[in-house]
Amino acid sequence: MSALDPTEVFRQEASELFETLEGALLDLCQRPDDRELVDSAFRALHTIKGSGAMFGFDKVAAFTHEFETAFELVRKGEIKPTQELIAVALAAKDYIRALIEAPETTDAIIGEAILDDLKQLVAPTAPRSEVATPATAEVAAAGEKRSAGWRLHLEFDSHILCNGSNPLDLLEDLCKLGPCFVVPVTDDVPLLDELEPEYCYLKWDVTLHADCEKSAIDDVFMFVADEMKLTLTPLTQAELPAQQPAPEPVPQTAMQPASADATPAPTVAEPMPEAEPTVEPAAVPKAEPVAKEAAPQPAARAETRRDEVKRSEERGIATVRVQAERLDELMDRVGELVIAQARLSQLAAAGSDLSIKMIAEEIERLAASLRDTTMGARMVPIGSLFGRFRRLVHDLSRDLKKPVEFVTSGEDTELDKTMIECLADPLVHLIRNAIDHGIEDTAARAVAGKTEQGRIELHAVHSGAQVLVTVRDNGGGLNTARIRAKAEEQGLIAPGAALSDHEIHQFLFHPGFSTAQTVSALSGRGVGMDVVKRTIENMRGSIDLSTKPGQGTSVTLRLPLTLAIIEGLLIRVGEGRYIIPLSAVEECVELMAEDQRSRGRNFLNVRGNLVPFLRLREILPAEGEPELHQKTIIISTGETRVGLVADQIIGNHQTVIKSLSKLHSDVTIFSGATILGDGTAALILDVAQLVSLAQAQSEKQQMNEAA
Amino acid sequence: MTPNATESKWSLRLPADCSIAAIRNVYDLIREAFNRQDPLEIDCSNVAKADVTSIQLLLSTTKTGQAQGRPVVLTSFSQNFRNTLRRAGFSSEAIANHPFNEKKDGV
Repeated sequence: MSALDPTEVFRQEASELFETLEGALLDLCQRPDDRELVDSAFRALHTIKGSGAMFGFDKVAAFTHEFETAFELVRKGEIKPTQELIAVALAAKDYIRALIEAPETTDAIIGEAILDDLKQLVAPTAPRSEVATPATAEVAAAGEKRSAGWRLHLEFDSHILCNGSNPLDLLEDLCKLGPCFVVPVTDDVPLLDELEPEYCYLKWDVTLHADCEKSAIDDVFMFVADEMKLTLTPLTQAELPAQQPAPEPVPQTAMQPASADATPAPTVAEPMPEAEPTVEPAAVPKAEPVAKEAAPQPAARAETRRDEVKRSEERGIATVRVQAERLDELMDRVGELVIAQARLSQLAAAGSDLSIKMIAEEIERLAASLRDTTMGARMVPIGSLFGRFRRLVHDLSRDLKKPVEFVTSGEDTELDKTMIECLADPLVHLIRNAIDHGIEDTAARAVAGKTEQGRIELHAVHSGAQVLVTVRDNGGGLNTARIRAKAEEQGLIAPGAALSDHEIHQFLFHPGFSTAQTVSALSGRGVGMDVVKRTIENMRGSIDLSTKPGQGTSVTLRLPLTLAIIEGLLIRVGEGRYIIPLSAVEECVELMAEDQRSRGRNFLNVRGNLVPFLRLREILPAEGEPELHQKTIIISTGETRVGLVADQIIGNHQTVIKSLSKLHSDVTIFSGATILGDGTAALILDVAQLVSLAQAQSEKQQMNEAA
Repeated sequence: MTPNATESKWSLRLPADCSIAAIRNVYDLIREAFNRQDPLEIDCSNVAKADVTSIQLLLSTTKTGQAQGRPVVLTSFSQNFRNTLRRAGFSSEAIANHPFNEKKDGV
């Protein structure tokens, strides 16, 4: 595999950072006082800026810097993040993303407009805190008691530059707090042979003549706190220079830029001209010396250093970024291995060589655990997907003027990454429908005695070998009469036909079916639910729809954990062999003589419960007489249980799913095929289809009996 | 970068981008130039982008020159490079008046 394109790596990283940023901004809508969220958003922004500059995305770095500066008052807690501010911040995020993804076609005028908006939103309140600050500082300076300032020693981790941070920016930020003497310490810069050009070797001693609080200094370095060592010592009054601050004595070396001249001037005694001091530091008359930070003992310093090294090592081994294609390739290989192993097991079982049998068993165990490990590596928490919808809900809620609370739960639920990718579109449609059609407008909700704010819940949970993803709204519920009228109008059902509510609701998934009066940008064309159904069925999943008039609708997607390999139950019907996904199997029972005799009534008495059953011989091609003792496999989807009558249960089988060709796309009873140990193919039964077939059959019988 | 062999001195003009994104290339070129036995002159007039890495590289170059007794002369700092040096705490006057190698103990 070729080396990774660094620009592509940056784009990937940035995409994750954008998710974090968006998540934090949307959370801020709910919790504007949460400083941690502001910090989290700033961390993401800062990393995007740093990395962007490193990878040559200068426009990104420049815009982000401007944005950070304008947003500074929010970070300092002097301005509360209002909805308007957050909307501008989200627009800025979109603009930065566009600058990264399509820099050529992104117009700078958009960025300028965003910054103007932001400055306008921030400006009216800015002077309130700013104006007082310098004055206070002056007054404080006149007083006899004030803190003299701080002496700082800055040592950065060697990798800090590679992480996108720029110590020079930090020094510049520090200068904004007050007059600074910056003395670079060059002792550690090695000779050319030992130099790693991207590492940071320079250290700095800084004397800050400002009566700021320690926290103000910590704020400057908050984004790199884990990647540096900051030693802070309060300056005593005696150390204050009479008029002009003198440079600090620093151990000198031959290469030391802190010159030994009579007029040493390694100074940045005032903020840099290009630095825009938009925000004055908060003046605090008395800065409390922080004893524990002052002059740390060498032993303690070494200890901290060791801890830092250990932490960074732990971070290094915690995760490894792997290309998704590699995982797909690995999964394919494991699939082939499982098939080869099945062949070996079959050969070993046919022979009499004990040692071969033992090896075959051992390989079977190893293949099974390798399969599980590989599938585990492909599992991704569904929360990564949920995050995307928060913005969708936020924007739709604003556009439709329907206040909506979006609640997610079960974000830790893991699902195969391919499934996650496939699930995005159906969920977008479901959420759009829920807001557009489900949630009523504010006036209608008030009339119905509901809260003004609607609620949409997105919930994921493991249920056996399935994952259930539910989209629930507390809107008006489905209008069954209207759906029925529309279905009759479109000729899908005969007027007056007897249909259950459940059956009527299924028309929603019919292509081109929509009850919307008008086609809007959001919905109304009747495409969305059709897409949802097709996608979910392609994933071997199913959809449950339930609704309560006036209380809301709930759509549950039932999905298998993986699309690649499943545990299956191998059965025989006539000469044919079939696989039933083991996750759907509840139990296996023998078909008793009395059940056999009850001709015309396909119900099985399982411990007092009547369960409808299907004779697979009647559905699937099977020659010859049925076995004397037939077996019934009870399968279930959700609440519904159905028995499947087969000639023989062969046993469990690791099933590598091979999808059927396009020529078989109209075959609904099978969801795929697999290759057995002897090289023959077995078809995988589609449990959802069989269940609905059995249900339809039992309802038909009941209706016949009633007639 | 244009290495010009003039008389017995090698002049090396640093490229416009001397930031971390391009510093590895600059490092390789300086090392290559350093392998020659002539005195090395590094022309910084063209530098548009500089950061901590470029400062460190030049410091390391002069340090290596001193260690090996090879004169390294830095000339014509561009305004951008000057600004970067100043931001890092290096005196701009010192830079202007005294190339790195001409001072025994500083810039």
